[in-house]
Amino acid sequence: MTRIIRTFAPLAGLAMFAALGAAPAQAQDAVISAAKAAGQVGEQADGYLGIKGSVSAEVRQAVDALNIRRRAAYTDLAGRRNATVQDVAAVTGCQTLKSRVSQGQIYRIGNGDWQTKGAGPIALPDYCAAAGN
Amino acid sequence: MRQWTRIGQGALAATLALAGGGCIQVRAPEKPIEINLNVKIQQEVVVRLQKDAQDLINNNPELFPQ
Repeated sequence: MTRIIRTFAPLAGLAMFAALGAAPAQAQDAVISAAKAAGQVGEQADGYLGIKGSVSAEVRQAVDALNIRRRAAYTDLAGRRNATVQDVAAVTGCQTLKSRVSQGQIYRIGNGDWQTKGAGPIALPDYCAAAGN
Repeated sequence: MRQWTRIGQGALAATLALAGGGCIQVRAPEKPIEINLNVKIQQEVVVRLQKDAQDLINNNPELFPQ
């Protein structure tokens, strides 16, 4: 049964996106980009987006929706590589912290405080170094 | 002569007991070593999944807006 749900969940997701059209997802990305620039939303080492402080319902919904889509992608990869979703998400988190956080944007490692990226690279968690990050 | 052998056996037993005690004492630092091993396992997972994670980001840029 779980297998069936796993198989069809992405299809159901696709069907929903097809019904909604591509525009909402793009609009969500624009909302997130703006919130990142404003220091309200940032990448986390766990592979998901996080929210700093209180934000509008629109931003919260966009972040929740994107994190659900990320988890679906992580779950798919974890299934193909016989890994846990958490590990896949954390390894992806190493990459996003390394290469997809711009100077001035916020990020968070573990349960630590939100930090703002400076001119230099982010001090990644120790385990990220194994991949030559 | 047999007496000396007995004493030798006693000494051997005492040495073994001491050695045994030594083994138990050595166990104390095992904990940090275990933690290091756990980190190593995690690092192996990182190495194994790194390219897949990179591909996931490259193939789904809409999931990682900047």
